[in-house]
Amino acid sequence: MDAATQRLLEEKERRIRDAVALKTPDRVPIVPLGDAFTARQAGVKVSDFCTDPQIAYRTMIEVFSGLGELDGIQHANYNVHLLSTIWLSRLKIPGRDLGENDAWQVEEIELMTPEDYDAILDEGFGPWLERYFAERLPGTAEAFAAFVATLPDAFAAWREKGIVVFSPVLATVPYEYFCGGRSMQQFMLDMHRRPDKVQAAMDAALPFLKEQMRQVIRGLSLMGLWIGGWRTASEFLSPRLWERFVFPYYKELVDVAIEEGAIPVLHFDADWTRDLERLLELPKGKCVLSLDGKTDIFKAKEILGDHMCIMGDVPPRMLSLGTPAEVTAYCKRLINEVGPGGFILAQGCCIPPDAKYENVKAMIDSVQ
Amino acid sequence: MSTTDLARALGDLQEDEVVAGVGERIAAGDDPTAILADVQRGMEIVGKRFEDGEYYLSELLYAADIFKQVNEPLAEKLASRETEKLATMVLGTVKNDIHEFGKDIVATILRSNGVEVVDLGMDVDYEAFVAAVREHHPQFVGMSCLLTTVFDDMKNTIAALEDAGLRDGLQIYIGGGPVDESLVEYVGADLYCRTAQDAVVAIKRHLGVN
Repeated sequence: MDAATQRLLEEKERRIRDAVALKTPDRVPIVPLGDAFTARQAGVKVSDFCTDPQIAYRTMIEVFSGLGELDGIQHANYNVHLLSTIWLSRLKIPGRDLGENDAWQVEEIELMTPEDYDAILDEGFGPWLERYFAERLPGTAEAFAAFVATLPDAFAAWREKGIVVFSPVLATVPYEYFCGGRSMQQFMLDMHRRPDKVQAAMDAALPFLKEQMRQVIRGLSLMGLWIGGWRTASEFLSPRLWERFVFPYYKELVDVAIEEGAIPVLHFDADWTRDLERLLELPKGKCVLSLDGKTDIFKAKEILGDHMCIMGDVPPRMLSLGTPAEVTAYCKRLINEVGPGGFILAQGCCIPPDAKYENVKAMIDSVQ
Repeated sequence: MSTTDLARALGDLQEDEVVAGVGERIAAGDDPTAILADVQRGMEIVGKRFEDGEYYLSELLYAADIFKQVNEPLAEKLASRETEKLATMVLGTVKNDIHEFGKDIVATILRSNGVEVVDLGMDVDYEAFVAAVREHHPQFVGMSCLLTTVFDDMKNTIAALEDAGLRDGLQIYIGGGPVDESLVEYVGADLYCRTAQDAVVAIKRHLGVN
């Protein structure tokens, strides 16, 4: 890497770290994320993109490096099997189960049974998980290992382009694993009908997940990582259940990430507005709250502005159906009202596959 | 168990109490229509608590599952009679989208509130919606999706209903992860429902039912 690129990376990394530390950088950093969108733009088959990690990261870099001056990228690479590893679910994969340019989808069926809670307690979460993948999701562990093996090269390739790799790995709480495996409907019934069993299994899973996260942060020298929340969102469950099955587990994961020197990016999809105040219990100036357009980001600023960097939240729908002028106007509003300090501009969740190129460009250019 | 006790027990999500209470009343020879009406009053308490922010989807689903359990023996008793239904909805996840979860919740919640649901499943062709509306004459059509890439499929489904001359008098409700108010006009629907309970309220309001 030449000295100029190195300097550029340092400058961008400082900009992002300043935002995380609740300072006001020279300008608001832009750190997007997009997967199938880049395949469409580059004319790469979605079926190849989502199953071949070499093709995936090269495609992502090609498209994003042409879109303007990014500070960082959230994920450095993509593989569809990642979805199975966090939601313990089968997938519909383009080229295999769907047309080669269709969107991949998670098949939400009851792949995990109530007996599995006992099996987790008997066997330990790690061995149980290994057996679960081998028996019920064959090929997942192998595909995941192949994906992980490409990460160092992918990180280096992004950095060569002067783009910071911000949060390229994802971790989550036991709830997301069980909810995906059981299906959301059944899992919600489990929380009412066998709460003690569910909690015991969660408590058995947590130490494994913490240790796994610790090793990944060390092994890949991560700047940050996603600690994701999807079905754990406040909008889905009552405060009583959320306080018992959700928040304590996030707190522990966040603490481990910070202990290891990584920035926990709370990638929280759906509506978390009700519990924003609870996030004041997480360490100040160390985390990022990344919202997808469903949580009221302005309210988040009001409650957490002095405590936690906020990231987001150009709605995916706006990137698909809106105009560049609309996108620019919304980004300017975010920069002025949620920023300029303690704020990172990004899309909500992920740039959708059918986002218009000019809309994504408008988002990226809006920080200049 | 008295009328108010049964409704209250379901409202409070006391599963064992509800199941035992319905069982006792069936054994005592109570009119199944009256028992069902009490259970539905319980569901109304649940719906009200959901609207007030005391209950969430987690409680709505639990209540609907308790309802399903006690409704089975009642439905058997009622099979020979013409039961009253509030309305009919043809429901499905639109073409090119296989995400059924949100749609399934809507079906569960609507059924436990007296709405007959014709569930077309997921990845539903435009023509399948048209055929179902022709066959079942519903007052309502519900469409769901989780992918932004299928907004046009939602639009095309509604266009197909129009082309078939079935759009008039039909209320079309849409919902799902990426859907919001602004999509109503784009696809030509009547209403966006953020939650399943929104659909219950909207249906009752449209029918002028309290």
